[in-house]
Amino acid sequence: MRSFEYVKARSVEGAVQLSSSESRFLSGGIDLLGEMKEYIVSPRRVIDLKTIPNLDRIDTSTETWKLGANVRIAEIASNDQVRAMLPGLAEAAAEVGSPQIRNVATLGGNLAQHSRCWYYRHRDLRCLKRGGSTCYAREGENKYHSLYSGNPCISPVVSNLAVILAALGAKVIVRRGEQEVTFAIPDLYSDAWNNPLAHNSLRPADLIVRVEVPIAKNRSTYMQISEKRDFDWALVSCAAAGQKTAGAWAQLAVFLGAVAPIPYAVESPLLERGELTSDSIASIAESLAAKATPLAQNGYKLPIAQALVRRCLDRIIT
Amino acid sequence: MMGALAKATALAQSAEALDDQKPVGPGPAKLVLQVNGSRQEIAVEPRETLLDVLRNRLQLTGAKEICDRATCGGCTVLVNGQPIYACMKLAIEMDGQEILTVEGLGDQKSLTRVQQAFVECDALMCGYCTPGFVMSLTALFNEKKNPTPAEIRKACSGNLCRCGSYPNIFKAAQKVAESS
Repeated sequence: MRSFEYVKARSVEGAVQLSSSESRFLSGGIDLLGEMKEYIVSPRRVIDLKTIPNLDRIDTSTETWKLGANVRIAEIASNDQVRAMLPGLAEAAAEVGSPQIRNVATLGGNLAQHSRCWYYRHRDLRCLKRGGSTCYAREGENKYHSLYSGNPCISPVVSNLAVILAALGAKVIVRRGEQEVTFAIPDLYSDAWNNPLAHNSLRPADLIVRVEVPIAKNRSTYMQISEKRDFDWALVSCAAAGQKTAGAWAQLAVFLGAVAPIPYAVESPLLERGELTSDSIASIAESLAAKATPLAQNGYKLPIAQALVRRCLDRIIT
Repeated sequence: MMGALAKATALAQSAEALDDQKPVGPGPAKLVLQVNGSRQEIAVEPRETLLDVLRNRLQLTGAKEICDRATCGGCTVLVNGQPIYACMKLAIEMDGQEILTVEGLGDQKSLTRVQQAFVECDALMCGYCTPGFVMSLTALFNEKKNPTPAEIRKACSGNLCRCGSYPNIFKAAQKVAESS
């Protein structure tokens, strides 16, 4: 790591005042320190957010729960209320990293983490995402890369929590200078669909303050398939959520992770109409193939994605 | 109306709060660490990781630097009782936190139950990963007296053993679980 100044922020306002285009915010540090050790980023100043009071709270007092950006992943995975009311969120958190990572990594950091593409993370390469001219993964080793992308970079979004929070219809509250800006999860990542340089839609000094999750969707689940059972990135992840009242479904949403630069929305009129029969579930999963553009090594992700869509929907209807 | 004293106090507090947000570094800055129950006053650069400070400044070389990227678990230490990777923490973040390394667990005459079980079950070959596994399992047994085999595996999921001593590591953990 190159040397830098370190400062503990005491408030959201203070953190924003301390920030500049040459600073980075630090919370759990798992993603940031990894990038700094590879010299992918070398900030002049690191602003510690953990010293901001109350940013590590989960407020369940209204129908929209507020989770502070500093809430640790381990807390989301083990919190009894989250497990009872938003089971998919707890399941997604339990699959993040290892115990040592979940004990320090935070909600804000998980959402804002950068690409894990091995070309992007390689200290000696300057790929498209780092401002170079070539996506090395397209013609190279691409078994972990996207099936869908709106730009030449094919590194996928890897945040587990983004996938389930998208399905739950969560909003992310971001401090941008003096203003507070609200992003729906798809908007938080939409820039990454078109722009190879973007990991998300955040600007350099933007600070995620909290995530607001409506608890109206009383059914939710998250599943992932990885090469290892524990402590591994998802090859494909999937989350489904909806509101079930007296046998009728509303607000059904299914999202996939690790197959696109954004949490990828599974779109179907059957979901909109709330028709969840075994036939309709099979046809929703089938429909994923139409727009997929597999590369030399990642075609196996499509049947996994289809299986996960079926399994997630099966799980929430039973 | 705010009393003069209260006003002065509020002013002093806000000045203090601002002062508190004063950056330190990039050169060495003073830091007080609580490691294995003892207070260590040192000066570190902000870029020094907790692992580097433990190993190179405090001569606590039990925690190992292997991957240096939150992947192998060789550097596992407990912070306020919870296992973390010391390679992915800046030392300067750690003031006021209780840090426990493998050196703080016992001594050559009186090993902890986890350490003793590792010896008895031959739960290591090269031994490089051992301090990390011991710390992860120590945290588990502090939390839970009689964990299930699944819970033992989960607790070890952030630690790698490249010699493949897993069966004996799990045997050692099982032995501790059964003896409590």
